[in-house]
Amino acid sequence: MSKSSENELYGTNLSMESMKVIAESIGIGNLPDDAAKELAEDISFKLKHIIQDAAKFVHHSKRTKLMPSDVDAALKVKNLEPQYGFQSSEPLPFRFASGGGRELHFIEEKEVNLNDLLQNLNAKAPLEVSLRSHWLCIDGVQPTIPENPPPVAKNIQKLESVDPINKKPAKETSGKPTTGKQKLRNVETVQIKQLATHELSVEQQLYYKEITEACVGSDEARRAEALQSLASDPGLHEMLPRMCTFIIEGVRVNVVQNNLALLIYLMRMVKALLDNQSLYLEKYLHELIPSVTTCIVSKQLCMRPELDNHWALRDFASRLMSQICKNFNTSTNNIQTRITRMFTNALNQGDKVPLSSLYGALEGLSELGAEVIRIFVLPKLKLIGARIETHLQGSITSNIEKIASEHIKQLLIKVVAPVLKNIKNSPDYVEEYKQEYGYLGPALHAAVLKARTQPTPSTTAACNISTSLTNVSATITRTVGQPSQILQQNTAGPQRTIMMNQTGRVTNQINNQKILFVTQRPPTPGCQPSPQPQQNTVVKFVSNTNTLNQQKMVTAQKLGITHAAQAGQSPISVVSKSSYQQAPTKKPEQMQPPTSIDDLSHLV
Amino acid sequence: MSTDDMDKSQLAAVLQILKKYNLKGTEELLRKEANLSSNLGDGSLQQSSDVSSVLTGYKSDGDPETYEDCYMELKRFVEGSLDIYKHELGMILYPVLVHMYLELVYNGHTEKAINLMRKFGPEQDPYYQDDLRKLALVTKRDHMNGNELTDTFKSNQFIIRMSRDTLSLLKRHLNDKKASVLLNIIQEHLYFDMYEGVARNKNQIDATSGAVGGEAKRQDNKTKVYYGIPKAPDIQSLAAPVEDEDEAADQDNPDKPKKKKAKKDPLFSKKTKNDPNAPPSDRIPVPDLKDNDKLEKIKAYREASKRVTLGPEYLPSVCCYTLLNANYTVTCAEITEDSSMLAVGFSDSIVKVWTLVPQKLKSMKTAEQLQDVNVDAEDVLARMMDERSGETSRSLYGHAGPVYSVSFSPDRTLLLSCSEDTTIRLWSLQIWTCLVVYKGHMFPVWDVKFSPLGYYFASASYDRTARLWATDHYQPLRLFAGHFSDVDCVQFHPNSNYVATGSSDRRVCLWDCTTGNHVRLMTGHKSPIMSLAFSVCGRFLASAGADCKVLIWDLSHGHLVAELTGHEKAIHALAFSRCGNILVSGGLDCMLKVWDFTKLTEEISSEEVNVSHNPDVRIGDDYLLRSFATKSSPLISLHFTRRNLLLAVGMFDGVPT
Repeated sequence: MSKSSENELYGTNLSMESMKVIAESIGIGNLPDDAAKELAEDISFKLKHIIQDAAKFVHHSKRTKLMPSDVDAALKVKNLEPQYGFQSSEPLPFRFASGGGRELHFIEEKEVNLNDLLQNLNAKAPLEVSLRSHWLCIDGVQPTIPENPPPVAKNIQKLESVDPINKKPAKETSGKPTTGKQKLRNVETVQIKQLATHELSVEQQLYYKEITEACVGSDEARRAEALQSLASDPGLHEMLPRMCTFIIEGVRVNVVQNNLALLIYLMRMVKALLDNQSLYLEKYLHELIPSVTTCIVSKQLCMRPELDNHWALRDFASRLMSQICKNFNTSTNNIQTRITRMFTNALNQGDKVPLSSLYGALEGLSELGAEVIRIFVLPKLKLIGARIETHLQGSITSNIEKIASEHIKQLLIKVVAPVLKNIKNSPDYVEEYKQEYGYLGPALHAAVLKARTQPTPSTTAACNISTSLTNVSATITRTVGQPSQILQQNTAGPQRTIMMNQTGRVTNQINNQKILFVTQRPPTPGCQPSPQPQQNTVVKFVSNTNTLNQQKMVTAQKLGITHAAQAGQSPISVVSKSSYQQAPTKKPEQMQPPTSIDDLSHLV
Repeated sequence: MSTDDMDKSQLAAVLQILKKYNLKGTEELLRKEANLSSNLGDGSLQQSSDVSSVLTGYKSDGDPETYEDCYMELKRFVEGSLDIYKHELGMILYPVLVHMYLELVYNGHTEKAINLMRKFGPEQDPYYQDDLRKLALVTKRDHMNGNELTDTFKSNQFIIRMSRDTLSLLKRHLNDKKASVLLNIIQEHLYFDMYEGVARNKNQIDATSGAVGGEAKRQDNKTKVYYGIPKAPDIQSLAAPVEDEDEAADQDNPDKPKKKKAKKDPLFSKKTKNDPNAPPSDRIPVPDLKDNDKLEKIKAYREASKRVTLGPEYLPSVCCYTLLNANYTVTCAEITEDSSMLAVGFSDSIVKVWTLVPQKLKSMKTAEQLQDVNVDAEDVLARMMDERSGETSRSLYGHAGPVYSVSFSPDRTLLLSCSEDTTIRLWSLQIWTCLVVYKGHMFPVWDVKFSPLGYYFASASYDRTARLWATDHYQPLRLFAGHFSDVDCVQFHPNSNYVATGSSDRRVCLWDCTTGNHVRLMTGHKSPIMSLAFSVCGRFLASAGADCKVLIWDLSHGHLVAELTGHEKAIHALAFSRCGNILVSGGLDCMLKVWDFTKLTEEISSEEVNVSHNPDVRIGDDYLLRSFATKSSPLISLHFTRRNLLLAVGMFDGVPT
């Protein structure tokens, strides 16, 4: 506390105005100044006393924050009636607002839907206090388990990566055991800066081997576990360089080999690492970003561009890229600017860019937000439109290019329409659109019109659902949300199922893989929670055709149906905000239901 | 003033008041009853004002304008004096400022008082700022009524330890200046505890100052304290038979079946020698041990023989028990001596007991079923319990306010809890109901502890007292009064003869259970004290609190010997390892810190100390061996098992701060 603010604490009082306002609120119209002054002094004195006493109760409750019950207790000690009806199970969430030279502290009050209370729907029972034991340390060494904090805190990792010189020598008191090593130091007084040898223990090496094998292996259940471990384990810090190298090398090799499945697995590893709260990836971005970019804009990512769904990979990688931008963009590294520039360059190269790369660049840009779309994509619409028109209308072009053009068209309509809707005024004319956007004009016009008629996906609806679902933990809704999408694919909308045989082709690393790859791409924008997706694509890659795969697919669908039935009709997965009441670690089997379906959409 | 005079002048004061309010009838009646002539009331008018000045202590006709100059003058004198005396002289500035402020307020010069505080308050030592802020609340005479802090200053002299040279320097200055305001304050409200020797430096002063009433007098710490641990004769006869069994307690059970081989275990051999500092075994009456207790002791000794000796090379393993879904509701926790049960107190008045071992918590059979139990059976205690009633946790309902402390009896059949509802409750852990409600404190009870021998227990309360109780008396046996503010924590000495208390007046006090007097008074904390722990040898006391420091006191002379810093938030848990080599502390900053206590005691023992010579205080984290962070779980209890495994209890706080 600064001296000046301390100074102000001596002999401060509530203002007379406050007294008058309070007097007015209870119906005393004109409180005389004298009375107000007298009252202000008296009340300030008494309030401060009560707060002083309340602080004692905070101390003894072993907290650091004052709660309403402490004030009640302080009043009780003074033989005063406590303030009934102001119970709260957590410290008061004071909010601060300022504006027009006025400052205001207020308590944010939540709205309670009385109907819900009356019907007693999803009444939230307080959770039972439970006891859990773990090893905080074993013979002076703290094990890196999820129950313990990460050995190197994220902000220290950040500091190291931003300012490596500032790195403090690891203090003996916080690191590994000192036995033995300390004595050497007395002899060797010269400080030599050691090369960063990230020595891995045998356990860590074993872990690395297991994890990498599981991530690219054929067992989907194991992969899910491995990814879960990558996304939540606190002790991965030391292995991070190796993991990154694994991913980078993997992408490099598999792009050349056109091994789509492995690329997807590697991207999911990136996603898991990004999700890990205890890791700070910035040091490795220079390696990761090129790999992710490769998966977005590479000319060819799969064996058969006309049949394989490499679009999903591009979409997923684009989302990763936008997540990277969001997490790590700073004014010094300018990641977002650099990435935007890179994608824009691809757009500017005209016809030299293959259509698949063009799609990737567009998808990459569109994930970066509406503003980016408005500035970089809109001016190019006409040119792109002209280019895909030739492929879509002309009869001479190959099937591959036609599919690519179709995808680009769908993508552009999906992402551009919401932007246009916001920047264009209401009367929309087809001619105008045609004038401005060329070939894509009419389609955009239709999409914008449709977007205008549809109500914006209202947040209130989502809120209602979220409040009714808050007691369902995030993990449960997640498991529920995922299979219900599969269910939709079985029941609603026209479907396209493509099955293909890959026997005979030599895959790079894994020969006997059985992959099911299901994705769902609603083409129209703004209909995310729509119960009736208009087009579903189910693509299956089966390297060894046999009946077993079929069975697997069927059981998976059954699983989905039962899950969806349990969940009622709530296709939206809601992440409970009050998840702090849950255990610090969720059981892994809850997190990732064993499933044989490799569904990218649930990773979104 | 003789008592007769005092009576008369008090009566005169009453008469004056009656006169003032024109209560003639009452006045006359009083005169008649007191046999006072009418002229006495008038004649002693002058005298009566003296009385009120004695009673209040702040009546002063000093010119309000002179106070500020007077303080400035004093400050200039302090700053201008020689460096060696400067810091000791500086100690009088704070009490002088406080009393000047109170005098001004008392005499109605609120503006002047606030100005004085504004001007000089912030430049006082940082550890006084809290109190200054509290004092600054008092701006009117009627605010002073019943105000804890002003009462303390009014009715107690502020104690300052000063070397002879410094004191004579100060006296000379006061005689020269003849500033009546200053002179009055120093005479009335300050007490100088003079010592021979060199004046202390700033660090030495800071180490021991900070308490509300000033430092401790040397007189306070002169009584002999039997801090040693008496040998436990009855256990030796069981665990390691020794020749010199001559204690009366042994006669009862000379034929115990468990004859353990006399090993060369330092644990036992140490006990065979009589500790010269141990109290006589009959100093306080203790109930005789029951057979069951003896069996328990044997078990404890066997466990102890498997104990790991900890040290810098052998750091403890820590098992952390985390309470989940307990945001802001857990207020206290305690683990039994044998580490089999955990009791947790909640802010919603519940006490909950968990078992930490595979054995479930059983309750006793019903009265009818108990009649069938063979009383002479060997395992009658086990037969009493209903096998089917086992549960992993049980709740105890009865309190009507947050439970601030729980304590197990050594034999694990009883549990004490204290609460904001001003009561202490004794619970049976066999029939799982409340047995006794001890009502004695009038205000919230902050802490309660069973004696290590059982039977006795001590409590600490908001009402500024600590009390000693026995489980079979519904009224306290001793009342330890003397703290200026809440007594926040209490702890029994391992030999049960003494009770240590820590208070919000930032003083640690050691009380003798037999006499009820305080035998040690130790100052040095800068914030309320929240946790206390005695070393295994009984000679040292560790205390910690909201000032994020662990202070180690030597009870032989009451000296502060070390100040362990490193925590960032209030410390609520302290524990010594069973071997006495390690001290651990845990706090709200979610950190567990392990301190090397052996190193500390070795360094202390090499230094020569006596009552008047204060040893240098060791400050800093030189003794820190290791610190471990928990995952946003503030630690509220620490406990070493008999084998020296450390158990920590924390509550998970899911809301990131």
